[in-house]
Amino acid sequence: MRILPYILYLFLIAFFEVILKNLTSIYGVSINITALIVMLVAIYKSEVISLWFGFVAGLVMAAGAVEFHVLPALITSGLGLTAFHAWRRLNFESVYSKLLVVFIGVFLHYLFLLLVEGGAGFFFVVLVKALPGAVYTTVVAYFFFLIVEGRISYQKIKSLF
Amino acid sequence: MSWISTQFARHWRNIHITIIVLLSALVLFGPPTIHTVLNQAIIGGFYYPFYRLKAGWELLLTEAETNAKLQQSLIEASLQISLYEEALRENARLRAALGFEPPPGYHLVPAKVISVSEYQLPVSVIINRGMRDSLTVNQPVINQEGLIGRISEITPDFAIVQLLTDPSNRVAARVASSREMGIVKYKLKEGMVLDNFPLHGTIAPGDTIISSGLGGVYPPGLIVGTVVKVNRDESKPFCRVNLQPAANFHSIEELFVLKPDYNR
Repeated sequence: MRILPYILYLFLIAFFEVILKNLTSIYGVSINITALIVMLVAIYKSEVISLWFGFVAGLVMAAGAVEFHVLPALITSGLGLTAFHAWRRLNFESVYSKLLVVFIGVFLHYLFLLLVEGGAGFFFVVLVKALPGAVYTTVVAYFFFLIVEGRISYQKIKSLF
Repeated sequence: MSWISTQFARHWRNIHITIIVLLSALVLFGPPTIHTVLNQAIIGGFYYPFYRLKAGWELLLTEAETNAKLQQSLIEASLQISLYEEALRENARLRAALGFEPPPGYHLVPAKVISVSEYQLPVSVIINRGMRDSLTVNQPVINQEGLIGRISEITPDFAIVQLLTDPSNRVAARVASSREMGIVKYKLKEGMVLDNFPLHGTIAPGDTIISSGLGGVYPPGLIVGTVVKVNRDESKPFCRVNLQPAANFHSIEELFVLKPDYNR
């Protein structure tokens, strides 16, 4: 297992949390980059990698929060494992099925993190933050899949102008 | 040994999950040092470079904002300084004009040039005084250097001054020392000249030329210019005298209209 790309993914998470999160947030709704990267790793890589990468990515994400907890790391690790199995068992091929998996995964990730944090107004936060956040992350994932599958390319964009 | 490797191969996923759960339990329930060290390692390893980057970027933005404000202040200060310098120059000119005395029978009406009309050189100017200030056509205009011209047209608030540099303007003049007379006019090719001066008249470079008062427009004694060159051609009845105007027509700003006392 080449470890360098995963370290770069972890740096990407830290970079996003520190610099891009506020810039890309819309009305306080931001992209859940940790869940997105973990799910992409789960879709394209093996089970053990998804499990361990989810755990370490969860630790990195939790370290960026105000108070450091290890439980988000466990949740993110579980997300990686679940996404891997969901993807393999259901065996979807289309972009939309991948997006469905991403949406459900990100939403559940938000949900469990909120449960662990245990703040007041759980359903309100779910409605205001988790659901729009999952939608926003899914939209970003959609563009990612379009690029990965070659539906958006430099030549195609160039041909438009 | 083979049993262990078989078990590991069969339950490898559960083993990984168990390791992760044990690690989590260690961090969660173990000594606080582990928790702190892990947090600091992640912050230092992954977050610190970006915190530095963000802080640097924010500092850059603040500096850029400060820089823009300072530049604006600098422009404002430069403008203020140039205004002060202009005021200083005006002050110097007005101080020079302060001790200036009008000829007997006249008093001075100060005026400011608001427009200059040029044809190769300034030929007329508009001043901010007019009929409302009891000025009339043909009143002489001077500054502290000497004769400038006369009022050629007038409106209630403004007056047009025909300068000596206008070729159609003539001044009856005389040499201050010898009192011999001629007519000062301006020629585009030669500049200011003293015309109709006797061929054997007493005149030399450096002599001062003043108005004679005979034309009826300019009072006597106003300095018109200085003799630069004298050409005596025996075949002609008059000599040609080139003059250096007393006033610099390219830098006139404050002028004085000579108003007769009876017209006060």
